[in-house]
Amino acid sequence: MRLASSFALSFLIILAACGGSVPEPTSPLAEEAPDRLVVYTVNEPLAYFAERLRGDEVEVIFPAPADEDPAFWSPNAEAIAAYQQADLILLNGAGYAKWVERATLPSTKLVDTSAGFADRLLELSGAVTHSHGPEGEHEHQGWAFTTWLDPTLALEQARAVAAALEQRRPESAAMIQSNLAVLEADLTALDARLAAAADSIGDTPLVFSHPVYQYLIHRYQLNGLEVHWEPDVEPDGKMWSELEHIIDHDGAQWMLWEGAPVATTVAGLDDRGISSVVYSPCANVPTEGDWLTVMEANAVALESIAGLPADHAD
Amino acid sequence: MSDVLFLAWRYLAHNRVKTVVLVGSIMLIVYLPVALRVLVTQSATELTSRAEATPLLVGAKGSPLELALSSLYFSADTPELTTHAEASRIASTDYAQSIPLYVRFKARSQPIVGTTLDYFDFRGLRFADGRTMAMLGECVLGSRAAEILEADVGGSVVSSPESVFDIAGVYPLKMQVVGVLEPTFTADDEAVFVDLKTAWIVQGLVHGHQDMAAPEAAPGVLAREGDTIIANASVVQYTEITPDNIDSFHFHGSVDDYPISAVIAVPHDQKSGTILMGRYESPDEPMQILKPTTVIDDLLGTIFTVQNFVVAGMLLVGLAALAIASLVFILSLRLRQREIETMARIGGSKARVAGVLVTEIAVVIGMSVVMAAILTVLTARFAPAVVRVLLLQ
Repeated sequence: MRLASSFALSFLIILAACGGSVPEPTSPLAEEAPDRLVVYTVNEPLAYFAERLRGDEVEVIFPAPADEDPAFWSPNAEAIAAYQQADLILLNGAGYAKWVERATLPSTKLVDTSAGFADRLLELSGAVTHSHGPEGEHEHQGWAFTTWLDPTLALEQARAVAAALEQRRPESAAMIQSNLAVLEADLTALDARLAAAADSIGDTPLVFSHPVYQYLIHRYQLNGLEVHWEPDVEPDGKMWSELEHIIDHDGAQWMLWEGAPVATTVAGLDDRGISSVVYSPCANVPTEGDWLTVMEANAVALESIAGLPADHAD
Repeated sequence: MSDVLFLAWRYLAHNRVKTVVLVGSIMLIVYLPVALRVLVTQSATELTSRAEATPLLVGAKGSPLELALSSLYFSADTPELTTHAEASRIASTDYAQSIPLYVRFKARSQPIVGTTLDYFDFRGLRFADGRTMAMLGECVLGSRAAEILEADVGGSVVSSPESVFDIAGVYPLKMQVVGVLEPTFTADDEAVFVDLKTAWIVQGLVHGHQDMAAPEAAPGVLAREGDTIIANASVVQYTEITPDNIDSFHFHGSVDDYPISAVIAVPHDQKSGTILMGRYESPDEPMQILKPTTVIDDLLGTIFTVQNFVVAGMLLVGLAALAIASLVFILSLRLRQREIETMARIGGSKARVAGVLVTEIAVVIGMSVVMAAILTVLTARFAPAVVRVLLLQ
């Protein structure tokens, strides 16, 4: 009897000792559960769309420094950590912001706003193919990424932003859709203005100071010629020679800049019969106004080239 | 009564070697089957708790056990590989959260687990020090991995070649440690966590090297044909990712074509899980989806079957040992015939003498059972730690 009791006792002790030994995992996110939806973007156009569309309790953050081109910005670990904490990260896609490829970001929070029109992305030309090692030939190919310069693509991106916001804030869906309709009207009007200006410009050659206007050129079938000049850097002799060749060969009379070029460059262009016009891609936060007002200023610039009155669209 | 106990105790104390052997033998007969059951039960608990916390696993068709063991415990051989497209496919269904895993490489003896940040949330992993990986080449260590690799935040670990004879293989990658996890007493403690992209760098699929078009890379160029540059083996590929060279790291082709070993699918609800499983039912489907609990239960079924054989064997051995112990007692009575007669001559009644002998046996058995019970309690107390160490090894 005593033996049986000892067995029973030890068995019970064993059961008790075995129970509850595995710690219950708790999600670190469960503690935070923020009410506010924090949206991070990789450029100003997406931040603008999110700001225009956002419902209640949405905070839109675009953290790139004002003096950096967001496409080539390399955020440090702290900045990436801030992106990791976001509820939604809006990507431009098309290989924009190369740092995204090299960063660790939570895949469930990423939204590629150009994924819906991947078939309309424009491939960059002039990639160098090389081979080394067992993998054989490969090239560092890429896509033109300034997608929002085509307002129809910008609208697609805005729709992708709206869908992402609605998914995370279903209770604000009506407000987001209403805001999207207004934004859609703005972008459609912008597209109409640019199309009218492009019609008037026709085949007139336009020199673009930077290879970032592919979608604008493609959308409006502009006779665009690209060089690689910086507005704040005076071109060297080789660059002038290249431009003179374009002038001689194509008869270009206009040069479109990302930002206002330095006075000496403007004077040099004037001497060669080239007028300078700013057509800003507005990838970063503008010093004045917002993304749409910058795009409208761009439309005015194109209208001035076309010889249309500035209030053409109005 | 006390005189009976005194005599019995004095006898056992006098013949202490015999007593110790008897107590030890009987204790082992009682303890071993019980301890085995405790350890097996604890192992089952540990194995199933990890499996139960992992709703579904998707991988290339092959051994389900390899897929489960590799994905849950980062042990076993690398299962058949699939591509990242499978993770994208699951995510695009909207039925489940998709967490890709690439468990293939090691840093010394520790598994390098390529995954996404979602894994940390999914497993509820907490940081003892540092942060999650943010950039290529950064890693987070499980608590045991940090001890074994003797690395801490700010230090570094180096990936190991898959084969020491692969002299033409990929260079080891020096990875910066940016975080150390709190102990979880699971396989996560043993792991070196990296971003999937870093795992692909370890494999050499994503790499950084000199700009082949740059003049300083000229010695490494075999030929230039238009836009094509053919480099020789001297082209400098980076073995450590630093702020200076991180921009040179690049992918070739689509990420969806890159390899992974499994995808953890976390369905949004039961219905979504069922629908997702249904999508892998086609006989032409090159992927398999499995519930880890099913695989682990099968494994445990085998373990329990083996355990039953072992316990049965132990019981038989125990019975034999008990028979031998009985023989020892009986032979001992014969040897002690003169001692028994002496006790009778000095006035000990038959009952009293029998009482002394029975008490001796009872004390031996009692001590054995008590010691077996103590050992069993200790085993049960430390079984989780023992099993975790055994499982992790």
